[in-house]
Amino acid sequence: MFDVIVKNGVVVDGSGSPGYRGDVAIKDGKIAAVGQVSGEARTIVDAGGRVIAPGFIDPHTHFDVQLLWDGAARPALEHGITCVVPGNCSLSLAPLKIADRQRLIGMFQQIEEMPPEAFTTAFEWTWEDFAGYREALEKDLSINVAPLVGHSVIRLWVMGPAAQERAATDAEIRAMQDLLRECLEAGAVGLSTSFVDVDENGRPVPSRFAQFEELDALCAVLGEFGRMLQCVPEFYATDITLARIDQLAELSLKHDIPTTFSPLFDTLAAPENAERAIARVEEQFARGARVWPQMQTRPIDISFSLLRPSLFFARLPRWVRILRQPLVDRLAALRHPETVAKMVADLGPDGGEAMMGRLVARGGDACPADLVGQSLSQIAKARGQAPALALIELSLENGLDVSFLSASAGHQSTDRIGPMLAHPLVHIGASDGGAHLSSFSTYGDTGYLFSEFVRKAGAMTMEQAVAKITSETADIWGLKDRGRLQPGLAADIVVFDPDSIDRGEERPAFDMPGDGMRYVRDATGIDTVLVNGQIAYAKGEYTSARAGVVCI
Amino acid sequence: MSLSRQRRFVTPGPDETVEELARRAMPDQPLEGAVDAIKSWNLHVFVMRRPPGLMLGSDVIFVEPPLAHA
Amino acid sequence: MPEAVPEAVIVGAEIVAGHDGAAELLVRLRHANGVESPVVLDEETGLKLMAACGASHVDDLAGQSWRRILEAS
Ligand SMILES: [Zn+2]
Repeated sequence: MFDVIVKNGVVVDGSGSPGYRGDVAIKDGKIAAVGQVSGEARTIVDAGGRVIAPGFIDPHTHFDVQLLWDGAARPALEHGITCVVPGNCSLSLAPLKIADRQRLIGMFQQIEEMPPEAFTTAFEWTWEDFAGYREALEKDLSINVAPLVGHSVIRLWVMGPAAQERAATDAEIRAMQDLLRECLEAGAVGLSTSFVDVDENGRPVPSRFAQFEELDALCAVLGEFGRMLQCVPEFYATDITLARIDQLAELSLKHDIPTTFSPLFDTLAAPENAERAIARVEEQFARGARVWPQMQTRPIDISFSLLRPSLFFARLPRWVRILRQPLVDRLAALRHPETVAKMVADLGPDGGEAMMGRLVARGGDACPADLVGQSLSQIAKARGQAPALALIELSLENGLDVSFLSASAGHQSTDRIGPMLAHPLVHIGASDGGAHLSSFSTYGDTGYLFSEFVRKAGAMTMEQAVAKITSETADIWGLKDRGRLQPGLAADIVVFDPDSIDRGEERPAFDMPGDGMRYVRDATGIDTVLVNGQIAYAKGEYTSARAGVVCI
Repeated sequence: MSLSRQRRFVTPGPDETVEELARRAMPDQPLEGAVDAIKSWNLHVFVMRRPPGLMLGSDVIFVEPPLAHA
Repeated sequence: MPEAVPEAVIVGAEIVAGHDGAAELLVRLRHANGVESPVVLDEETGLKLMAACGASHVDDLAGQSWRRILEAS
């Protein structure tokens, strides 16, 4: 008697080989059989017309805090993700002394944009060491977690405030090594560091004060466990990215560890950027180094309001001049009909339709609720105005606190990015799930992989796309139990409709502690998600299953 | 596959100043010109840094201009 | 061996999408050896640079010295 049989689907087992009609049987949280399964089960999941695949793994997230009150890392789980890697970019919630909490909260808020209540009321802060955090985390998980430990917090533990001031002494480096070893023994899957992040005051995070020798010493400890080093490199500055790749390669070869840097973006403004980085990665892999570039699937959207000057208008001299004035003068100019007429005229005969028509009113601010999600083109038509005029007037009517989204402003060329995502040395990831909450949605990148790069562009097959975000991710990270539909492995499974799996439109949600706002995207085309053999999400609902574990 | 040549860089030593770094990396150049050159090659370090001018042990500091690449 | 190091000059600039959802300014510098490389400025610094150069269009930045970038910080 099996616990569950997922029946009559197309089994896409994560290996990349062609899908076939079949079933997957589960017993005691593990996959018991794959293929034509006969026998009884307590629960049957009908997967007719659907794909049965291993659960997706998201290797770059910041769910560290959210997981303490939301063990599903919503909405990650409903997108088919069964394992998240938090603790990226040098920041994790452990090991952390009580005295250093406030300092770390500032850094976390800078990245995650979480309301303060998230740290004060949403969970009980019971731990200092990594094992204690793991214990707190594991109480209520419905998704699996493969946590990194952050270099910045390791530094903070050993050096206190000096972590953000100076290089470490030899004794301090030895103490950091011991601490890292303790974290790895307690279930960390690697170390994260950052070369770019800053705290809430703009001061570089502690990891950036480390000499290369310190990172090298920590990687020696990673080498004892064969574990991952993750880093955030500088963006769009190709020579620096190549230098980082070389540093990572040196560490990878010396200590026999995998390394990854995230994100790597493509941009039409510097088309050689990602290409040169990938070429360098190829050279380093050929020497035996493991330096995995993480590339996200989703384009970058940028947003702005007239509350602050924005580079969005940097090709419109009059707009630049007016919008960079102090608020009082800016408002006066925007209320002056002749000035506004000239501003609108600057957009040409279409009144800004070409440049601004596709902007979307985002919501989450003073924008009238009925306009949220509408394009400026639609809004302008309804008002009987040119788009540029509608933008100005709608902003004025709402204290300028109306933000507009310019979708797909970067990393947006499917034709260019498709082949890169399909490249055997490019690691699909870098979602940043759980971060940048009030700036944009970091959810649904896996759905977008299928809708945009499999169905629309044909850049890879369904099977390749599944392999990319399951077995390949598990192999890169050394998650031995995950990523394949194979007897004996953990039963992390997603059942989805290959014709409709996608990410929904971005929308504001007020589900953070203290009614805090974040942008989310709902999933479409996901039927059922099983985590360690239990149904965690089905028919559009989260279940009460709490089978998630810290997995290593 | 052998490694293609990349732009040379160093990382700053503990508390090293840009003048000290320039002297170390470009010993044959007059100091002022070398400091200027290093700044112009490394604006990623010398702009937007809080506090301004702070060099970090983890910074990549190029000690030559960008190379021509195909 | 020339005594003075020739100056790097801005040859152009473009708006790029920053990882945090803000626009950024990718400024192209041509160095003394004739090779170009980018420097990426955050929105605030990019706007400051434009103001400091009296530029009301990104294209107006072309021809400005690299030192203006340093000053904009
Ligand atoms: Zn991150």
